[in-house]
Amino acid sequence: MEGLVGVVIGDTRIAMREDEDRRATELRLVRQAQAGDLVAFERLYRENERKVFGLCFRLSSDPALAEELTQEVFVRAWRKLSSFRGESAFSSWLYPLTVNVALSERRSRRRRDARIIATEDPASLERAPRSPAPEAGFDLEKAMATLPPGARAVFVLHDVEGRTHEEIAQLLGLAPGTSKAQLHRARRLLREALAS
Amino acid sequence: MTCQDLDLRLDDWLDGALTGDAAREVESHLAGCAACRERERELRQLLAHAAALPRSLAPARDLWPGIAERIGGGWLGWGARGFQPLALAAAAVVVLGLAALVLTRLAPERVRTVTMPAATPSATTFVAGGSAADPVLAQAEREYEEAAKALLEALQRHRGMLPAEDLARVESNLQVIDRALAEVREALVKDPANPELNRMLVATHRKKVDVLRRVVRLSTAL
Repeated sequence: MEGLVGVVIGDTRIAMREDEDRRATELRLVRQAQAGDLVAFERLYRENERKVFGLCFRLSSDPALAEELTQEVFVRAWRKLSSFRGESAFSSWLYPLTVNVALSERRSRRRRDARIIATEDPASLERAPRSPAPEAGFDLEKAMATLPPGARAVFVLHDVEGRTHEEIAQLLGLAPGTSKAQLHRARRLLREALAS
Repeated sequence: MTCQDLDLRLDDWLDGALTGDAAREVESHLAGCAACRERERELRQLLAHAAALPRSLAPARDLWPGIAERIGGGWLGWGARGFQPLALAAAAVVVLGLAALVLTRLAPERVRTVTMPAATPSATTFVAGGSAADPVLAQAEREYEEAAKALLEALQRHRGMLPAEDLARVESNLQVIDRALAEVREALVKDPANPELNRMLVATHRKKVDVLRRVVRLSTAL
Protein backbone atom coordinates (compact mmCIF):
# COMPACT_ATOMS: atom_id res chain seq x y z
CA MET A 1 0.00 0.00 0.00
CA GLU A 2 2.83 2.36 0.90
CA GLY A 3 4.28 1.71 -2.54
CA LEU A 4 0.98 2.66 -4.17
CA VAL A 5 0.72 5.78 -2.02
CA GLY A 6 4.28 6.62 -3.02
CA VAL A 7 3.39 6.24 -6.70
CA VAL A 8 0.31 8.42 -6.30
CA ILE A 9 2.27 11.09 -4.43
CA GLY A 10 5.03 10.86 -7.02
CA ASP A 11 2.52 11.24 -9.88
CA THR A 12 0.91 14.16 -8.11
CA ARG A 13 4.30 15.82 -7.68
CA ILE A 14 5.08 15.29 -11.36
CA ALA A 15 1.69 16.75 -12.32
CA MET A 16 2.27 19.72 -10.01
CA ARG A 17 5.74 20.26 -11.46
CA GLU A 18 4.33 20.09 -15.01
CA ASP A 19 1.67 22.59 -14.01
CA GLU A 20 4.30 24.87 -12.51
CA ASP A 21 6.39 24.58 -15.67
CA ARG A 22 3.35 25.42 -17.79
CA ARG A 23 2.57 28.43 -15.64
CA ALA A 24 6.18 29.58 -15.79
CA THR A 25 6.20 29.26 -19.59
CA GLU A 26 2.90 31.09 -19.81
CA LEU A 27 4.14 33.89 -17.56
CA ARG A 28 7.30 34.21 -19.65
CA LEU A 29 5.17 34.50 -22.80
CA VAL A 30 2.97 37.11 -21.12
CA ARG A 31 6.02 39.15 -20.10
CA GLN A 32 7.39 38.97 -23.64
CA ALA A 33 4.00 39.95 -25.06
CA GLN A 34 3.79 42.83 -22.59
CA ALA A 35 7.10 44.02 -24.03
CA GLY A 36 5.53 44.03 -27.50
CA ASP A 37 6.46 40.54 -28.73
CA LEU A 38 3.67 39.55 -31.11
CA VAL A 39 5.07 36.05 -31.58
CA ALA A 40 4.75 35.38 -27.85
CA PHE A 41 1.21 36.72 -27.92
CA GLU A 42 0.37 34.43 -30.83
CA ARG A 43 1.46 31.47 -28.70
CA LEU A 44 -0.83 32.64 -25.91
CA TYR A 45 -3.60 32.94 -28.49
CA ARG A 46 -2.97 29.41 -29.80
CA GLU A 47 -3.13 28.05 -26.26
CA ASN A 48 -6.45 29.72 -25.51
CA GLU A 49 -8.33 30.20 -28.78
CA ARG A 50 -10.49 27.07 -28.51
CA LYS A 51 -11.75 27.84 -25.03
CA VAL A 52 -12.47 31.44 -25.95
CA PHE A 53 -14.15 30.48 -29.23
CA GLY A 54 -16.19 27.74 -27.51
CA LEU A 55 -17.52 30.21 -24.96
CA CYS A 56 -18.19 32.91 -27.56
CA PHE A 57 -20.00 30.42 -29.77
CA ARG A 58 -22.22 29.18 -26.97
CA LEU A 59 -23.02 32.67 -25.73
CA SER A 60 -23.84 33.96 -29.22
CA SER A 61 -25.10 30.79 -30.96
CA ASP A 62 -23.65 32.19 -34.15
CA PRO A 63 -20.36 30.73 -35.44
CA ALA A 64 -19.53 33.70 -37.65
CA LEU A 65 -20.20 36.15 -34.83
CA ALA A 66 -18.24 33.90 -32.45
CA GLU A 67 -15.21 34.21 -34.74
CA GLU A 68 -15.46 38.00 -34.67
CA LEU A 69 -15.93 37.98 -30.90
CA THR A 70 -12.90 35.73 -30.41
CA GLN A 71 -10.79 38.14 -32.42
CA GLU A 72 -12.16 41.07 -30.43
CA VAL A 73 -11.32 39.31 -27.14
CA PHE A 74 -7.68 38.88 -28.15
CA VAL A 75 -7.40 42.40 -29.54
CA ARG A 76 -8.69 43.77 -26.22
CA ALA A 77 -6.47 41.35 -24.30
CA TRP A 78 -3.44 42.71 -26.17
CA ARG A 79 -4.42 46.28 -25.33
CA LYS A 80 -5.05 45.47 -21.67
CA LEU A 81 -2.13 43.11 -21.26
CA SER A 82 -0.21 45.54 -19.06
CA SER A 83 -2.87 45.06 -16.38
CA PHE A 84 -2.18 41.31 -16.16
CA ARG A 85 0.08 40.76 -13.14
CA GLY A 86 0.42 37.00 -13.38
CA GLU A 87 -1.41 36.30 -10.12
CA SER A 88 -3.79 33.92 -11.92
CA ALA A 89 -3.58 31.81 -15.06
CA PHE A 90 -3.81 33.76 -18.29
CA SER A 91 -6.97 31.80 -19.17
CA SER A 92 -8.58 32.92 -15.89
CA TRP A 93 -7.75 36.51 -16.73
CA LEU A 94 -9.26 36.07 -20.19
CA TYR A 95 -12.50 34.53 -18.93
CA PRO A 96 -14.40 37.62 -17.67
CA LEU A 97 -13.08 39.55 -20.65
CA THR A 98 -14.54 36.93 -22.99
CA VAL A 99 -17.92 36.95 -21.26
CA ASN A 100 -17.97 40.73 -21.27
CA VAL A 101 -17.05 41.01 -24.94
CA ALA A 102 -19.51 38.31 -26.01
CA LEU A 103 -22.46 39.71 -24.12
CA SER A 104 -21.83 43.42 -24.58
CA GLU A 105 -21.12 43.02 -28.29
CA ARG A 106 -24.30 41.02 -28.71
CA ARG A 107 -26.29 43.67 -26.87
CA SER A 108 -24.78 46.54 -28.82
CA ARG A 109 -25.35 44.79 -32.13
CA ARG A 110 -28.94 44.15 -31.23
CA ARG A 111 -29.42 47.78 -30.39
CA ARG A 112 -27.60 48.92 -33.50
CA ASP A 113 -29.34 46.94 -36.15
CA ALA A 114 -32.10 45.08 -34.34
CA ARG A 115 -30.55 41.88 -35.57
CA ILE A 116 -31.86 38.67 -34.04
CA ILE A 117 -28.76 36.70 -33.21
CA ALA A 118 -28.82 33.50 -35.15
CA THR A 119 -31.28 31.59 -33.02
CA GLU A 120 -33.83 31.68 -35.79
CA ASP A 121 -31.22 31.48 -38.50
CA PRO A 122 -31.10 27.87 -39.68
CA ALA A 123 -28.23 28.57 -42.06
CA SER A 124 -25.96 29.71 -39.25
CA LEU A 125 -26.86 26.66 -37.19
CA GLU A 126 -25.96 24.48 -40.13
CA ARG A 127 -22.46 25.97 -40.00
CA ALA A 128 -22.23 25.62 -36.25
CA PRO A 129 -19.36 23.62 -34.77
CA ARG A 130 -20.79 20.31 -33.68
CA SER A 131 -20.17 18.72 -30.34
CA PRO A 132 -20.34 14.96 -30.08
CA ALA A 133 -23.93 14.25 -29.01
CA PRO A 134 -24.01 11.79 -26.11
CA GLU A 135 -27.37 10.54 -27.28
CA ALA A 136 -28.69 10.48 -30.82
CA GLY A 137 -31.84 12.47 -31.51
CA PHE A 138 -31.14 15.44 -29.24
CA ASP A 139 -28.86 18.26 -30.29
CA LEU A 140 -28.23 20.29 -27.18
CA GLU A 141 -26.23 22.94 -29.05
CA LYS A 142 -29.20 23.56 -31.31
CA ALA A 143 -31.63 23.58 -28.42
CA MET A 144 -29.46 26.04 -26.47
CA ALA A 145 -29.49 28.38 -29.45
CA THR A 146 -33.27 28.69 -29.13
CA LEU A 147 -33.10 29.89 -25.50
CA PRO A 148 -33.66 33.53 -24.61
CA PRO A 149 -30.20 35.16 -24.38
CA GLY A 150 -30.22 35.73 -20.62
CA ALA A 151 -31.29 32.18 -19.82
CA ARG A 152 -28.81 30.79 -22.34
CA ALA A 153 -25.92 32.73 -20.83
CA VAL A 154 -26.66 31.46 -17.33
CA PHE A 155 -27.18 27.86 -18.53
CA VAL A 156 -23.89 27.92 -20.46
CA LEU A 157 -21.94 29.39 -17.57
CA HIS A 158 -23.51 27.13 -14.90
CA ASP A 159 -24.20 23.78 -16.53
CA VAL A 160 -21.61 23.72 -19.33
CA GLU A 161 -18.79 25.80 -17.85
CA GLY A 162 -19.39 24.79 -14.22
CA ARG A 163 -19.49 28.29 -12.72
CA THR A 164 -21.36 28.97 -9.46
CA HIS A 165 -24.31 31.36 -9.20
CA GLU A 166 -22.10 33.76 -7.24
CA GLU A 167 -19.50 33.77 -10.02
CA ILE A 168 -22.18 34.16 -12.68
CA ALA A 169 -23.77 37.00 -10.76
CA GLN A 170 -20.42 38.78 -10.71
CA LEU A 171 -19.69 38.09 -14.38
CA LEU A 172 -23.10 39.19 -15.62
CA GLY A 173 -23.83 41.91 -13.08
CA LEU A 174 -26.89 40.12 -11.70
CA ALA A 175 -28.15 39.16 -8.27
CA PRO A 176 -27.48 35.46 -7.52
CA GLY A 177 -31.26 34.96 -7.23
CA THR A 178 -31.73 36.23 -10.79
CA SER A 179 -29.07 33.81 -11.98
CA LYS A 180 -30.97 30.96 -10.29
CA ALA A 181 -34.24 32.05 -11.85
CA GLN A 182 -32.68 32.21 -15.31
CA LEU A 183 -31.16 28.77 -14.85
CA HIS A 184 -34.53 27.36 -13.82
CA ARG A 185 -36.11 28.85 -16.92
CA ALA A 186 -33.40 27.55 -19.22
CA ARG A 187 -33.50 24.04 -17.76
CA ARG A 188 -37.30 23.90 -18.05
CA LEU A 189 -37.21 24.95 -21.71
CA LEU A 190 -34.42 22.51 -22.53
CA ARG A 191 -36.06 19.68 -20.61
CA GLU A 192 -39.18 20.24 -22.67
CA ALA A 193 -37.10 20.18 -25.86
CA LEU A 194 -35.41 16.99 -24.69
CA ALA A 195 -38.73 15.35 -23.94
CA SER A 196 -40.35 16.31 -27.24
CA MET B 1 -44.85 19.43 -0.54
CA THR B 2 -46.76 19.94 -3.79
CA CYS B 3 -45.45 19.19 -7.28
CA GLN B 4 -45.14 22.95 -7.81
CA ASP B 5 -43.00 23.28 -4.66
CA LEU B 6 -40.82 20.45 -5.90
CA ASP B 7 -40.38 22.14 -9.28
CA LEU B 8 -39.02 25.22 -7.47
CA ARG B 9 -36.57 23.19 -5.36
CA LEU B 10 -35.50 20.50 -7.80
CA ASP B 11 -32.68 22.60 -9.28
CA ASP B 12 -31.19 23.29 -5.85
CA TRP B 13 -31.55 19.66 -4.82
CA LEU B 14 -29.82 18.38 -7.97
CA ASP B 15 -27.09 20.98 -7.58
CA GLY B 16 -26.49 19.79 -4.00
CA ALA B 17 -27.60 23.09 -2.52
CA LEU B 18 -30.26 21.52 -0.25
CA THR B 19 -29.36 19.75 2.96
CA GLY B 20 -31.11 18.34 6.01
CA ASP B 21 -34.88 18.59 6.21
CA ALA B 22 -35.18 20.50 2.94
CA ALA B 23 -33.42 17.72 1.06
CA ARG B 24 -35.44 15.03 2.83
CA GLU B 25 -38.71 16.75 1.85
CA VAL B 26 -37.71 16.64 -1.83
CA GLU B 27 -36.66 13.00 -1.58
CA SER B 28 -39.88 12.06 0.17
CA HIS B 29 -41.99 13.75 -2.51
CA LEU B 30 -40.04 12.07 -5.31
CA ALA B 31 -40.51 8.67 -3.71
CA GLY B 32 -44.27 9.05 -3.93
CA CYS B 33 -44.77 10.97 -7.21
CA ALA B 34 -44.12 9.26 -10.56
CA ALA B 35 -44.62 12.50 -12.56
CA CYS B 36 -41.97 14.35 -10.54
CA ARG B 37 -39.60 11.38 -10.77
CA GLU B 38 -39.95 11.58 -14.54
CA ARG B 39 -39.19 15.32 -14.40
CA GLU B 40 -36.14 14.59 -12.25
CA ARG B 41 -34.99 11.90 -14.72
CA GLU B 42 -35.29 14.32 -17.66
CA LEU B 43 -33.42 17.00 -15.79
CA ARG B 44 -30.59 14.61 -14.87
CA GLN B 45 -30.41 13.55 -18.51
CA LEU B 46 -30.19 17.20 -19.60
CA LEU B 47 -27.42 17.92 -17.10
CA ALA B 48 -25.51 14.87 -18.32
CA HIS B 49 -25.77 16.20 -21.89
CA ALA B 50 -24.51 19.60 -20.78
CA ALA B 51 -21.64 18.16 -18.75
CA ALA B 52 -20.56 16.06 -21.73
CA LEU B 53 -20.23 19.06 -24.05
CA PRO B 54 -16.61 19.95 -24.79
CA ARG B 55 -15.68 23.36 -23.39
CA SER B 56 -13.23 23.95 -26.20
CA LEU B 57 -14.30 24.27 -29.82
CA ALA B 58 -12.15 24.95 -32.84
CA PRO B 59 -13.14 27.82 -35.13
CA ALA B 60 -13.58 26.89 -38.79
CA ARG B 61 -10.74 29.19 -39.87
CA ASP B 62 -7.52 30.58 -38.50
CA LEU B 63 -8.46 33.78 -36.67
CA TRP B 64 -4.91 34.86 -35.87
CA PRO B 65 -4.17 36.79 -39.11
CA GLY B 66 -7.13 39.09 -38.42
CA ILE B 67 -5.98 39.64 -34.85
CA ALA B 68 -2.37 40.23 -35.88
CA GLU B 69 -3.49 42.73 -38.47
CA ARG B 70 -5.45 44.72 -35.91
CA ILE B 71 -2.92 44.71 -33.11
CA GLY B 72 0.14 44.93 -35.29
CA GLY B 73 -1.17 47.89 -37.26
CA GLY B 74 -1.67 45.99 -40.49
CA TRP B 75 1.70 44.28 -40.77
CA LEU B 76 0.20 41.28 -42.46
CA GLY B 77 -2.71 43.00 -44.17
CA TRP B 78 -3.70 42.37 -47.75
CA GLY B 79 -5.21 45.52 -49.08
CA ALA B 80 -7.07 47.03 -51.95
CA ARG B 81 -9.22 45.51 -54.63
CA GLY B 82 -8.92 46.07 -58.33
CA PHE B 83 -5.75 46.11 -60.36
CA GLN B 84 -4.03 49.47 -60.42
CA PRO B 85 -0.61 49.45 -62.09
CA LEU B 86 0.03 52.82 -60.41
CA ALA B 87 0.19 51.08 -57.08
CA LEU B 88 3.01 48.94 -58.38
CA ALA B 89 4.87 52.00 -59.48
CA ALA B 90 4.26 53.56 -56.08
CA ALA B 91 5.55 50.44 -54.43
CA ALA B 92 8.70 50.57 -56.46
CA VAL B 93 9.21 54.22 -55.51
CA VAL B 94 8.71 53.66 -51.81
CA VAL B 95 10.97 50.65 -51.88
CA LEU B 96 13.69 52.73 -53.41
CA GLY B 97 13.05 55.48 -50.87
CA LEU B 98 13.16 53.02 -48.05
CA ALA B 99 16.35 51.47 -49.33
CA ALA B 100 17.88 54.93 -49.37
CA LEU B 101 16.69 55.55 -45.84
CA VAL B 102 18.16 52.30 -44.64
CA LEU B 103 21.43 52.71 -46.49
CA THR B 104 21.99 56.24 -45.25
CA ARG B 105 21.41 55.18 -41.67
CA LEU B 106 23.70 52.19 -41.78
CA ALA B 107 27.42 51.95 -41.63
CA PRO B 108 28.27 48.55 -43.15
CA GLU B 109 30.24 47.35 -40.16
CA ARG B 110 27.23 47.85 -37.93
CA VAL B 111 25.07 45.46 -39.90
CA ARG B 112 24.42 42.24 -38.04
CA THR B 113 23.08 39.35 -40.11
CA VAL B 114 19.70 37.99 -39.11
CA THR B 115 18.91 34.36 -39.79
CA MET B 116 17.03 34.37 -43.07
CA PRO B 117 14.97 31.75 -44.79
CA ALA B 118 16.67 30.23 -47.81
CA ALA B 119 16.44 31.99 -51.16
CA THR B 120 13.68 30.92 -53.49
CA PRO B 121 15.20 29.62 -56.69
CA SER B 122 11.89 28.23 -57.85
CA ALA B 123 10.71 31.80 -58.39
CA THR B 124 12.95 32.21 -61.40
CA THR B 125 11.60 28.99 -62.88
CA PHE B 126 8.09 30.28 -62.70
CA VAL B 127 8.90 33.67 -64.25
CA ALA B 128 9.87 31.92 -67.43
CA GLY B 129 6.39 30.65 -68.11
CA GLY B 130 4.21 30.33 -65.05
CA SER B 131 0.59 31.18 -64.44
CA ALA B 132 -1.54 31.89 -61.41
CA ALA B 133 -2.70 28.32 -61.39
CA ASP B 134 0.81 27.03 -61.91
CA PRO B 135 2.00 24.92 -58.97
CA VAL B 136 5.49 26.35 -59.39
CA LEU B 137 4.08 29.86 -58.96
CA ALA B 138 2.08 28.76 -55.98
CA GLN B 139 5.20 27.24 -54.43
CA ALA B 140 7.24 30.37 -55.14
CA GLU B 141 4.56 32.52 -53.54
CA ARG B 142 4.46 30.29 -50.50
CA GLU B 143 8.21 30.50 -50.10
CA TYR B 144 8.23 34.27 -50.39
CA GLU B 145 5.36 34.54 -47.97
CA GLU B 146 7.13 32.31 -45.48
CA ALA B 147 10.26 34.41 -45.82
CA ALA B 148 8.24 37.59 -45.34
CA LYS B 149 6.46 36.13 -42.32
CA ALA B 150 9.73 35.11 -40.67
CA LEU B 151 11.11 38.58 -41.28
CA LEU B 152 7.99 40.26 -39.97
CA GLU B 153 8.27 38.20 -36.82
CA ALA B 154 11.91 39.15 -36.46
CA LEU B 155 10.96 42.77 -37.02
CA GLN B 156 8.24 42.55 -34.38
CA ARG B 157 10.82 41.32 -31.90
CA HIS B 158 13.13 44.22 -32.64
CA ARG B 159 10.67 46.95 -33.51
CA GLY B 160 11.45 48.75 -30.28
CA MET B 161 14.93 49.44 -31.66
CA LEU B 162 13.66 51.56 -34.54
CA PRO B 163 12.63 55.20 -34.18
CA ALA B 164 8.86 55.54 -34.31
CA GLU B 165 8.86 57.67 -37.46
CA ASP B 166 11.00 55.14 -39.34
CA LEU B 167 8.76 52.34 -38.17
CA ALA B 168 5.70 54.22 -39.39
CA ARG B 169 7.31 54.73 -42.79
CA VAL B 170 8.26 51.07 -43.04
CA GLU B 171 4.77 50.00 -42.12
CA SER B 172 3.22 52.39 -44.60
CA ASN B 173 5.54 51.17 -47.34
CA LEU B 174 4.78 47.56 -46.61
CA GLN B 175 1.10 48.32 -46.86
CA VAL B 176 1.66 49.79 -50.32
CA ILE B 177 3.54 46.67 -51.37
CA ASP B 178 0.83 44.43 -49.96
CA ARG B 179 -1.79 46.40 -51.86
CA ALA B 180 0.22 45.97 -55.03
CA LEU B 181 0.48 42.24 -54.41
CA ALA B 182 -3.26 41.98 -53.89
CA GLU B 183 -3.90 43.86 -57.10
CA VAL B 184 -1.59 41.70 -59.16
CA ARG B 185 -3.15 38.58 -57.73
CA GLU B 186 -6.60 39.82 -58.59
CA ALA B 187 -5.50 40.65 -62.12
CA LEU B 188 -3.98 37.17 -62.44
CA VAL B 189 -7.30 35.60 -61.58
CA LYS B 190 -8.72 37.21 -64.74
CA ASP B 191 -5.64 36.63 -66.87
CA PRO B 192 -3.61 33.81 -65.35
CA ALA B 193 -1.29 33.29 -68.32
CA ASN B 194 -0.19 36.91 -68.61
CA PRO B 195 3.64 36.78 -68.38
CA GLU B 196 3.92 40.45 -67.41
CA LEU B 197 1.64 39.96 -64.43
CA ASN B 198 3.56 36.87 -63.39
CA ARG B 199 6.81 38.80 -63.54
CA MET B 200 5.27 41.64 -61.51
CA LEU B 201 4.04 39.24 -58.85
CA VAL B 202 7.43 37.69 -58.28
CA ALA B 203 9.20 41.04 -58.45
CA THR B 204 6.85 42.52 -55.86
CA HIS B 205 7.29 39.56 -53.53
CA ARG B 206 11.04 39.89 -53.90
CA LYS B 207 10.85 43.61 -53.10
CA LYS B 208 8.88 42.95 -49.98
CA VAL B 209 11.38 40.39 -48.76
CA ASP B 210 14.28 42.70 -49.63
CA VAL B 211 12.72 45.59 -47.74
CA LEU B 212 12.06 43.46 -44.72
CA ARG B 213 15.54 42.00 -44.78
CA ARG B 214 17.08 45.48 -44.80
CA VAL B 215 14.81 46.81 -42.06
CA VAL B 216 15.45 43.82 -39.83
CA ARG B 217 19.17 44.30 -40.31
CA LEU B 218 18.79 47.96 -39.44
CA SER B 219 16.70 47.26 -36.34
CA THR B 220 19.16 44.69 -35.01
CA ALA B 221 22.18 46.90 -35.73
CA LEU B 222 20.94 50.03 -33.98
